[in-house]
Amino acid sequence: MGLNLEAAAEGPKRLVKTREEAFEALFKTEYARVAGIANRVLADPHEAEDVAQEVFINFHRLHSATAQFAPAWLHRAAAHAALNRIRGRRRREKRDMAQAPDEGSRTMDPQQMLEVSEDRRMVRAALARMAPKPAAVLVLRASGLSYSEVAQALGVGTGQIGTLLRRAEATLRKEVTRGTSI
Amino acid sequence: MFDDPDALTGSDRTHYATCAECQARYAGMAEDARSAATLLAAPELKLDIASAFKRVQAAPAAKPRFGFSFPILRPASRPMFAGLAAAVVLAALVVTAFANVLPLFQPKTVATVPVTVADIQSLSALSDYGTVTWSQQPNPQIVLSAADAEKIAGFKAPVAKYLPKGTSSTITYGAMAKAVAVFTFDAAKAQSAAAKSGKALPKLPAGMDGAKLTVTAGPAIIEIYGNLNLGSEGSSNANSNGSSQNINLPELVIAESVAPLVTSTQVTAKQLEDYVLSMPGISKELAAAVRAIGDPSGTLLIPVPIQYATSTPVTIQGSHGVALGDNTGLGSAVIWIKGNVFAVAGPQKQSEVIKVASNLK
Repeated sequence: MGLNLEAAAEGPKRLVKTREEAFEALFKTEYARVAGIANRVLADPHEAEDVAQEVFINFHRLHSATAQFAPAWLHRAAAHAALNRIRGRRRREKRDMAQAPDEGSRTMDPQQMLEVSEDRRMVRAALARMAPKPAAVLVLRASGLSYSEVAQALGVGTGQIGTLLRRAEATLRKEVTRGTSI
Repeated sequence: MFDDPDALTGSDRTHYATCAECQARYAGMAEDARSAATLLAAPELKLDIASAFKRVQAAPAAKPRFGFSFPILRPASRPMFAGLAAAVVLAALVVTAFANVLPLFQPKTVATVPVTVADIQSLSALSDYGTVTWSQQPNPQIVLSAADAEKIAGFKAPVAKYLPKGTSSTITYGAMAKAVAVFTFDAAKAQSAAAKSGKALPKLPAGMDGAKLTVTAGPAIIEIYGNLNLGSEGSSNANSNGSSQNINLPELVIAESVAPLVTSTQVTAKQLEDYVLSMPGISKELAAAVRAIGDPSGTLLIPVPIQYATSTPVTIQGSHGVALGDNTGLGSAVIWIKGNVFAVAGPQKQSEVIKVASNLK
């Protein structure tokens, strides 16, 4: 009985420790990938790290790091959180432009308009216009996830990924072309 | 084929070599794939994983919590909720006591039992009468979609065909796999608890000491309407006080759970019934109310704090249920059993909540 009581007293502490350890191990294994996915969407390393950390914080708040679905959850959350940001950004930009078009063109450095970042902005705007699933398929695959990892992250069969990916690639291309021709 | 050229089988390869249409289609797809790869190029990431981990650890929300954070509850309501949870466990105990078929009980309908805050507080000392252990820990999770919730729960997520005007289209899904709790009655513990409260413990029926009550709860799915995280979105400094004040209350909550299953060992239903109702800490009113329900075998008892809510019997989709209305007029809920246990609750008028419930598919 005495032994049991000791074990009971040690139990919660040990549990907390292992939970923390498991989370740290998961963080170390997956952080680069999660940040990579967010960066693929945002094309902004700082913002990508913000998103990655937010995703890990949310995960830790809600789930155990030992959960089998942990990597898939993180990959999907990274893609969706980053896509939500560019959608929000796009809405904000639209609103700002509508409210103060003159100011927008006044403060913009003409040189900057020619920079590569404009292309990136176009691509991000195209991604933001796409439906969430195809956009996520594209981003996850471009971040180096295998077909099976993409399938797990999105909760679809691995057999569907090829078709989803091909359609998404075609859509992205069309969306970017549409964006440049506007 | 573009990603894995080896995936092409021998016969497909032969066909491809001679089919101009396939070649053209492949050329188009390959061009799309190359273009997507170029378009999605991103600036290089230079990561310092150790300091990133420190930042995440330092975030107030990163502190581990037990399963659900229950965003729907304000901190002030938590003791109340804990009390209610204890009351539900005891209600299950009482219900089991009534069940004529000893080893098995699964409710088919619902009824309310009015309880006072004092009842609830005394019930939370359930651990004074025995040991509660989990043979399957409850592991509620917030998931990303209805499909994920369905995967965990093993049944289809309920779909609301009617929503009150202005209800947010943002739904947070939660799911829980089956949880199994075992309550082992401990005569020594009960004796000392009774001594502490200065009341005599009724004589123990033979076999009561060590009697086990197994309560199986869930699996369950919960759908919370409303943007719960709106208050903390997009600002790292807004959380500086680490409080949960910026949590939004849900606009509507829909839950479905497999009805709890209770089994017991060693004691008969009658013994358990008499004993549980005579335990110190259960008010005469509560015991009388439970007895007054008549034959509650197969009835899920819902403890309703009399100061907080009123309850009325209702019929939802042909099944008997109860509607709980908050006396303040701020919220209402309806609970019914149609195979599974269903609940709809929200800061709405009772008629609206009942309409949602009646149109749940």
